[in-house]
Amino acid sequence: MIEWIIIIIALAIIGFAIMAIYYWNRIIVLENTIDNSWSQIDVQLKRRADLVPNLVETVKGYMKHEKNAIKMVTQSREKMMKAGSVGAKIKAGNELTSALKTIFALAENYPNLKANENFKALQEELSAIENKIAYARQFYNDAVLRYNNMITTIPGKFFAGKRKPRQYLTIQAAERVTPKVSFPEA
Amino acid sequence: MMKKINVYDQISKNKRLSIILSFLVILTISALGYAIGYIYHPDLAFFAFILAIAMAILFSIGGYYYSDKIVLSAVNAKKADPVKYKKVYDLLEGLCIGAGMKMPKLYIIDSPDINAFATGRDPEHAAIGVTTGAIEKLNKLELEGVLAHELSHIKNYDIRFMTLVSVLVGTVIILSELLLRSFYWSGTSRERDKSGIEVIFIIAGFLLALIAPLLMKLIQFAISRKREYLADAQGALITRYPDGLADALEKIKKENKGRLKVSKATMHLFISNPLRKFEAESLFSTHPPIDKRIKILRSM
Repeated sequence: MIEWIIIIIALAIIGFAIMAIYYWNRIIVLENTIDNSWSQIDVQLKRRADLVPNLVETVKGYMKHEKNAIKMVTQSREKMMKAGSVGAKIKAGNELTSALKTIFALAENYPNLKANENFKALQEELSAIENKIAYARQFYNDAVLRYNNMITTIPGKFFAGKRKPRQYLTIQAAERVTPKVSFPEA
Repeated sequence: MMKKINVYDQISKNKRLSIILSFLVILTISALGYAIGYIYHPDLAFFAFILAIAMAILFSIGGYYYSDKIVLSAVNAKKADPVKYKKVYDLLEGLCIGAGMKMPKLYIIDSPDINAFATGRDPEHAAIGVTTGAIEKLNKLELEGVLAHELSHIKNYDIRFMTLVSVLVGTVIILSELLLRSFYWSGTSRERDKSGIEVIFIIAGFLLALIAPLLMKLIQFAISRKREYLADAQGALITRYPDGLADALEKIKKENKGRLKVSKATMHLFISNPLRKFEAESLFSTHPPIDKRIKILRSM
């Protein structure tokens, strides 16, 4: 009788240990996925930031009366380069996105600029990067969703320790709702 | 998370089916080898059988590692130039980031029809082929829909099984044609006493030669339909815009005229049947009816 109780307890402990290892590893994997997907966003943000000075140089000569718009772009780029935390980077990144949008909207009034090959190439490249940022953000949010589901539902909850659900990156509504407008066909 | 479970089921199913298919093909080829050997020279039949097994095993292994290259050259796909097709590369890269996948190689097929396919053995060794027609006629969102569909085939390991089917089935067809021919040849040019058993063997070989490609065709029919629906759904999950693929399918329906000339052994790899002109969708078609796919996508 006593042997049976010991065997059952031992099995229960082994079962629990296996479960703990499984869930612990799952949680770590999901955490790493979030970090990795953040680095994907970061790479694209950096690539975009690298193109901005070039764009500003090209645009400056044509858009003499749009000093403010150009300044906005330069400033938000600088802010983004300095930003340390994920939140600050995303915020500055969003600012840069809308500053660039303003520039491209204003460019409609400057036919000479629009005909500039360098400008055209930059506009295309920046819109391609913008697209990749949107996808990187989507993947990040998917990763956060999976992580949050894991650590807030039973049984993952029991193995999550003091982990808190992560924040989603808010997607600017305009970007995904009217894709036909934001990404015109060439 | 029902969807996730389905996808993982699909992956393990594809891996399992790839192994089963390889064994079936090894069996069929060995049987064909035995039959061919028997017809040429009954004493050598056993030797031919062993040789056929060895070749079939080597061939299956080769098929596993090289099938993507065989398929890519069979459909005459060329590596996409990174400068000329930068836009397509950009779209593909974005989708791969969104799906959390490694970027597959990109190939171009020169054809005015709109079509695309994926091949390879796993997500690390995968390639996507797109026709020039697709690049010219589809807008960004439609092309994204098509590429996302193909990425889903890669993610699900559909490519492993479907590519193996292409290469292995193609070979079995060639072998059985060889058998049929050798049957005629031996029947006319060789004087031999046909004992009862021998005749049975020859008839069996003949039947086998007839049935083998049919059996393989049936497999080909059975495999594709569910995969297409699943890949449509997963593709929409990547782009978050099911109408993109739906619009692309509408265009395919309207514009494709069967101008993409590819071997029948590869047709199930394509997003829409390259050999068909959408007048009639039969029960045995490798692809689900395009209207039904569009309807499902529109309701997402």
